[in-house]
Amino acid sequence: MQEKNYLRLIFMNNQKGYRENMKEFDYVITDEVGIHARPAGLLVKEAKKYESKIVLSKDGKKAEATKLMAVMGLGVKCGQTVTVEITGADEEAAYEGMKAFFNENL
Amino acid sequence: MKDKIFGVLQRIGRSFMLPIAILPVAGLLLGIGSSFTNETMITTYGLERALGDETVLHALLVIMNKVGSAVFDNLPLIFAVGVAIGMAKKEKEVSALSAVIAYFVMNTAISAMLLNSGQILDNGEISADVLQGTIASVCGIKTLQMGVFGGIIVGLGVAALHNRFYKIALPNALSFFGGTRFVPIISTIVYMFVGILLYFVWPAIQNGIYALGSLVTGSGYVGTLIFGLIKRALIPFGLHHVFYMPFWQTAVGGTMEVGGQLVQGGQNIFFAQLADSADIVHFSADATRYFSGEFIFMIFGLPGAALAMYHCAKPEKKKAAGGLLLSASLASMMTGITEPLEFSFLFVAPALFAVQVILAGFAYMIAHMLNIAVGLTFSGGLLDLFLFGILQGNEKTSWMKIIPVGIIYFFLYYFIFRFMIKKFDFKTPGREDDDSETKLYTRADVNARKENEKTGNAGELQPDPVSEIIVRGLGGKGNISDVDCCATRLRCSVFDAKLVNDSILKSTGASGVVHKGNGVQIIYGPHVTVIKSNLEDYLEKAPEEEKKQTKAARSIIISSPMKGMASNLSTAPDEAFAEGMMGDGAVVTPADPIVRAPEDGEISFVFDTKHAIGFLTDSGISLLIHVGIDTVKLNGEGFEVYVENGQKVKKAEPMMKLDIDYLKENAPSLASPIVCTELEDNQKVRLLKEGEILAGEELFAIDIYE
Repeated sequence: MQEKNYLRLIFMNNQKGYRENMKEFDYVITDEVGIHARPAGLLVKEAKKYESKIVLSKDGKKAEATKLMAVMGLGVKCGQTVTVEITGADEEAAYEGMKAFFNENL
Repeated sequence: MKDKIFGVLQRIGRSFMLPIAILPVAGLLLGIGSSFTNETMITTYGLERALGDETVLHALLVIMNKVGSAVFDNLPLIFAVGVAIGMAKKEKEVSALSAVIAYFVMNTAISAMLLNSGQILDNGEISADVLQGTIASVCGIKTLQMGVFGGIIVGLGVAALHNRFYKIALPNALSFFGGTRFVPIISTIVYMFVGILLYFVWPAIQNGIYALGSLVTGSGYVGTLIFGLIKRALIPFGLHHVFYMPFWQTAVGGTMEVGGQLVQGGQNIFFAQLADSADIVHFSADATRYFSGEFIFMIFGLPGAALAMYHCAKPEKKKAAGGLLLSASLASMMTGITEPLEFSFLFVAPALFAVQVILAGFAYMIAHMLNIAVGLTFSGGLLDLFLFGILQGNEKTSWMKIIPVGIIYFFLYYFIFRFMIKKFDFKTPGREDDDSETKLYTRADVNARKENEKTGNAGELQPDPVSEIIVRGLGGKGNISDVDCCATRLRCSVFDAKLVNDSILKSTGASGVVHKGNGVQIIYGPHVTVIKSNLEDYLEKAPEEEKKQTKAARSIIISSPMKGMASNLSTAPDEAFAEGMMGDGAVVTPADPIVRAPEDGEISFVFDTKHAIGFLTDSGISLLIHVGIDTVKLNGEGFEVYVENGQKVKKAEPMMKLDIDYLKENAPSLASPIVCTELEDNQKVRLLKEGEILAGEELFAIDIYE
């Protein structure tokens, strides 16, 4: 039992360690209609796959990628640049996953 | 196309797994049972006391032997049913029954043809001029020996007929025979003709195999190699017995004088020498060349292949694949029954089977060349190696040479299998793709779907309005506990009979609805089996609801933002919305240009293209009001927006004006999804109104459960 707690402690510490090095990338939207309803829905669904917190930002406005309203509220149009920040335990996977998603869908 | 063929092949391979799973157990029973009941073996070791005819142990072993054989003898039927179950898409039990029927029909048709042609005599005996082993008794029917292939022909064919016809609707007078009931009927008819056809085709295949036998007697080491190759290659056809028995048991396999008697056949010579072993220096490898090599690949080689398959399995499936492969390997090593292992890769990767045939063929030849002379009763497992090799001593059998050759064989199998599985991505056990993967719709999929619809080919996921209405009439999916049917009635059990709405049910073409407690019978007439199948399909696809509905603690009402026709969200002509990906809600098709605030609240945002508005009600619900389908492409044309981001509005205040004529002309649909984008798990949408609705009239409720 005690051992388990000890392991958990190490694990938690590791998580904290991850938190410090956030991953991010910029993406220029090429979809001609921008992030409208359907792409936003897909994006949210993709983002919910990961444990990490994923934040989109455009022109200083930020939106959590798991909140559909917020994502749509960014009003991202074709040619604009979105910054995607990812922090959390599975940020490597989330980074790759989100990047692939943007490339394929937006 | 290539992918499609591959997908089908993979399903076929997977459908073999159910019947294959029984083989290891049956193999062990048969192997142990037959080894320890072999009379020669018992007398040779003086075990009459323990294992002789009258002993309890003997009786038990005989039973094990018989039970094991029962599985192997009926393997074709087991495969017929197993494959039919595996390949049927729905209503699998019907395809199983049909397969049994079709199997009997096919074999009986063949049997009748054989009787007609005089190959089976009127007294039921097989005519003397028929090649031995080509006609066998299958489930009491004397028919052509087709082995497992006979069963597979039935299983695949019946499943194809089943998938094609299980929903067939027949004209009203015959409709009792429609739907699933039609499958056994059509199977019977089709397989009668398949049987007749096989009567003409199969003997040609059999004769070819038999003719190969004469090749081997060209003898020498090459002859042994040819024997081995052919014997192993015949396993899937079930014809290897036809082929090797003459070599084991008749003069075809050679003759030799042992103890003053002329003995015929390789196995007979070995056992004659064994009985006379005091006078024998070394058993004859010329006699044992028809089986001594089996120890090499059965004890060493094939387990190597199994280990390779295990190492190549996907991590999450290793455990399941390991169980199958381990038990199959044990059957091969202990008793020399290789079918479980061979069948696990034969169908999914015939190339691997080719490797197995070649390696095994050479094993026979190598054993012959090394003068290994280990006899066997049945097959080349450890049991027989122990009894007829080790116990006889290395001087007489050279059994020790099996070990170094075997170790080389183990690694050969392991590395060749591993290399080929990885290189060609063979779907050996534990490497199957998941076919039930829940798939995310990407833009490519959506576009592909649209292309399909344009060409008038709507794909599989067609909406099923009748089933949908039935489900609604029964109080929703969560209220249905069970669906069944009799000749004319759909019989459903519901959790709460109060939620059932007779008039909705009648609108689906039912002639009456009968209630009995929580049972509801909806009377449709004889075509009810089709309705039932469709309904089951629909229930399977329909989104899951809470099974037991607890009373909602409270509800938030959302009113319609426009005048028009309200309907269920699933009717939205856009799967992203219809499947609830954007959230749950409803669809309103506007008949009036003004879009009003559905409730008191705040405008979260207006899309630049003006076709959609994000709305946050004062009751805390985030709504997306999306006018029309694909209207993002109109770039604001046809919309006039009166509100701006962050603006507070009162219920019924105008937010937007539509140019309905323009939209009708330029958008695929005017149907406007109104969805709650941020529902919690305990919040469920309940549609309140369907059909004509006014702006401000209650559209749906959000029930909040505790």
